[in-house]
Amino acid sequence: MADISQAGAALAADAAASGAGRTAAHASAEEARPPRGRKWVGYIAFLPFLLVIVGYELLPLAQLVLDSLIGKESGAFGLENFIKVFTTPLYQQSIINSVWISLVSAVVGIVVSFLAARFAYESSERVRNAFTMVLNMMSNFSGVPLAFAFMILMGNSGVLTILGEQWGIPFLADFDLYTGEGLLVLYIYFQIPLATLLLLPAFSGIKKSWREAAIILQASPLDYWFRIVIPNLMPSILGTLSVLFSNALAAYATAFAVVMNNYALLPLQITSKFKGDVQIDAATGGALAVVLIILMVVCTLINNYFTKRASKGREII
Amino acid sequence: MSLKTKAVGASAPDKKTPLAARIFLGVVALYLLVPFLTTLVYSLFVEWTDVLPSGFTLRNYAELFTNSTFWFSIGRTLVLCLVSVAITIVLLLLAMYVVVAVNRRLGRFMQFVCMIPYALQGVILSIGIISLYTGTGTILSNRMFMLFGAYTILVLPYIYQGIRNALNAIDANMLIQAAEMLGCGRFRAYVQVVLPNIVSGILVSSLLAESIVFGDFVLANNIAGTNYQNIQVFLQANMARSSGLSSAIVVVIFLVVAAVTALVLKLQHTSQNK
Amino acid sequence: MAYIEFRDVVKRFGDNTVLDHISFGIQQGDLVTLLGPSGCGKSTLLRCLSGLETVTEGQIVLNGRDVTNVPASKRNIGMVFQQYSLFPNMTVEQNVAFGLKMKKVDPATTERKVREAIAMVELTGKERAYPANLSGGQQQRAALARSIVTEPSVLLLDEPLSAIDAKLRKALQSRIREIHQELGLTTIFVTHDQDEAMVMSDVIQLFHAGRIEQAGSPVEVYTSPVSEFAASFIGSYNQLSGAQFKAISGSDVPAGNVVAIRPETIGISRERPTDADGYVVVGTVADSTPRGNVLRYTVRVGQTTLLVDVLFRSFHMFDDGETVYLTLPERDCLVIPENARSAA
Repeated sequence: MADISQAGAALAADAAASGAGRTAAHASAEEARPPRGRKWVGYIAFLPFLLVIVGYELLPLAQLVLDSLIGKESGAFGLENFIKVFTTPLYQQSIINSVWISLVSAVVGIVVSFLAARFAYESSERVRNAFTMVLNMMSNFSGVPLAFAFMILMGNSGVLTILGEQWGIPFLADFDLYTGEGLLVLYIYFQIPLATLLLLPAFSGIKKSWREAAIILQASPLDYWFRIVIPNLMPSILGTLSVLFSNALAAYATAFAVVMNNYALLPLQITSKFKGDVQIDAATGGALAVVLIILMVVCTLINNYFTKRASKGREII
Repeated sequence: MSLKTKAVGASAPDKKTPLAARIFLGVVALYLLVPFLTTLVYSLFVEWTDVLPSGFTLRNYAELFTNSTFWFSIGRTLVLCLVSVAITIVLLLLAMYVVVAVNRRLGRFMQFVCMIPYALQGVILSIGIISLYTGTGTILSNRMFMLFGAYTILVLPYIYQGIRNALNAIDANMLIQAAEMLGCGRFRAYVQVVLPNIVSGILVSSLLAESIVFGDFVLANNIAGTNYQNIQVFLQANMARSSGLSSAIVVVIFLVVAAVTALVLKLQHTSQNK
Repeated sequence: MAYIEFRDVVKRFGDNTVLDHISFGIQQGDLVTLLGPSGCGKSTLLRCLSGLETVTEGQIVLNGRDVTNVPASKRNIGMVFQQYSLFPNMTVEQNVAFGLKMKKVDPATTERKVREAIAMVELTGKERAYPANLSGGQQQRAALARSIVTEPSVLLLDEPLSAIDAKLRKALQSRIREIHQELGLTTIFVTHDQDEAMVMSDVIQLFHAGRIEQAGSPVEVYTSPVSEFAASFIGSYNQLSGAQFKAISGSDVPAGNVVAIRPETIGISRERPTDADGYVVVGTVADSTPRGNVLRYTVRVGQTTLLVDVLFRSFHMFDDGETVYLTLPERDCLVIPENARSAA
């Protein structure tokens, strides 16, 4: 349909050009408006992009959805795999663990980074720049290197673990990195720089005159923070929260490096179905992948909703 | 008169940092730095079983830099970085020409498909590609094809945003129209007038993309694994074997990425000052 | 005693003296304008009165009470800022009610006062709108309502109209003036726009480099500037050095002074006036520009250029290049001290 209307528009344009040409009788008029044939040439440049997008983004996604809908046992088209996923304890646990770790790490991350962004915003430019530099650098410290660093620090014979034993600090001595709680500590670590970098620009939207107006109107600092600053930052806070949540949900390298496949976590379970020592199980893997995709899409939609609201406000403020 | 100019200068007094802010930011910065610093110290000493490590050594680095597998994995990583980012840039520049000069309505579609990888990230992308192409018996089932395809998609959102922002900043459409008035063809105008003006914008986003490919483990491990070991997979394979060597690898990886990040920040800073 | 008194107020930021021993009083119910170029200290003085800045030296007395060290929230003042001071997360109604809520005024009274204040600034119908959906002028009116609803003892306006386009600004100037008269509220208005100051104020305090250059009614400040700075800032005075003035008029000017002549006081004619009351000089019309209801001629007299304003009665009374006679009334040739130029 789009193609036809496109051609129609080109035809109409040509007719108009030739009409003008008759009166003006200028060859340059035809040059300025490329003829119909040339217009199609323009679209050729779009083809390579389209091919790669279809071949490596859209079709793979479609393949996963297809995998998820073809029953593992029956081979029939339907929701069989999803029923299996939601009734098998291991997969149930994977979904619960993934959501739980993502949620807690996102909330802790947002609280810490809200305070960090607030203090950075109140600091001198020199301090703020130095802090932002650390954030930018350490936001790259993730995945396998991060997992390794934490193993050195808090693993079975980690530096802090040994010191904890020597000094009798049970929290450090008994800390087990290779569990859900261990992963949580790691996840919180990589959320903080990301969240602070996302929240910092929002703070610069807080106008100095709001504070002054509030003071003159006899508001206490608490009133100012809870009635003005936080409500105004809410869209950014919730938007950042959803970015953090989906960031943790999809994280693979960090978890894999620490616990391999020995923990019920959605990305680990999905990957193990397509790769690894056991037989490939695309049906279950596909269903788990679709569950992850749905969680991520919901997150993205929430984020879009909030960033739109935030930018709407910012346009006019 | 001198009084007046001084007063203007005083309107932006240097803010003092409150003590609470200094303490909090210091603690957070320290928390963020400790894991890396520990790894750095660990890589430089023979033993660390007390408060202080003992036996300074560069042995780990000497071992690493004489390890040919390390250099091969570095080489592979660089090939992956450069080739996939270059492919993505070319694809996007061609496609963007169509959006800018032929049909603006394609812009929406492009934005949508370019942002999907940002939402999905590595796991979904890699297993989707594996599931689609493995065992098809065609050239597409070649691991290298899959890997380059996957990386091209992975860096798409970052480079797309860089190019789009750069095009918007210079008002590419207006430039092309101006060139057309002077008798220049659209595509030629795009190549000769628009592209030179967005090079710095593309540079920053490509560097960002390079650091993302450099730091990737998921795609490399899932699609290629030991067949085409990149630096992250090399690290993971060595972690259980030798923690001394691994700590040196971590330090090297971090320093490389930090250097790229510093370069990006510097470029952004200078372009802002302009 | 004056309602508000500044006694020898000094404000320094580091080494920079922004307010240099300012002393003056403001009568209750007056609308006083602090006028001056940017960076002259006028806003800083307003902020010292509001309590948002502390003074380095001196005293501020408000209604017989020394408020020098009283925090801003305890001074009972209303303030409208340059822009962006409405809270974006609240509607117009909620913004206006905010101050009453902080004072724990009961809901019924709050509702009535908010309604009255909104009506006073002519925003009825926009109660539920968010600041983002209001124009700049509407936002400033809402901010005005918010600052008067708490019945402050003094209203401070810090360049509230500077970000609003010219037409709307005129309407808001007269609205502010009306509200001032209606409420009898002592009001201090900061602006860098001399026309705005002329239109609005009972008293103008003209600021220059941290000091008060001149104080008086708009007419006084306009007709008798006390210095070269005042003359150049208020209206477009012709300013002639002593040598220039002697060259065209033949009269001597005391050393260290300049002569300032307002363009509209100069007479212009084709024939030499017979009964001239003042200096008559011959010049050539170099240019003419229509400025609203006034036509401005640029006339060259020897080495000097004079601006002459006449009412725009008939189009183009004199052509460029025409020889004309200018009459400079003696009483309108103001002899004022020249600026100290050494520092610049």
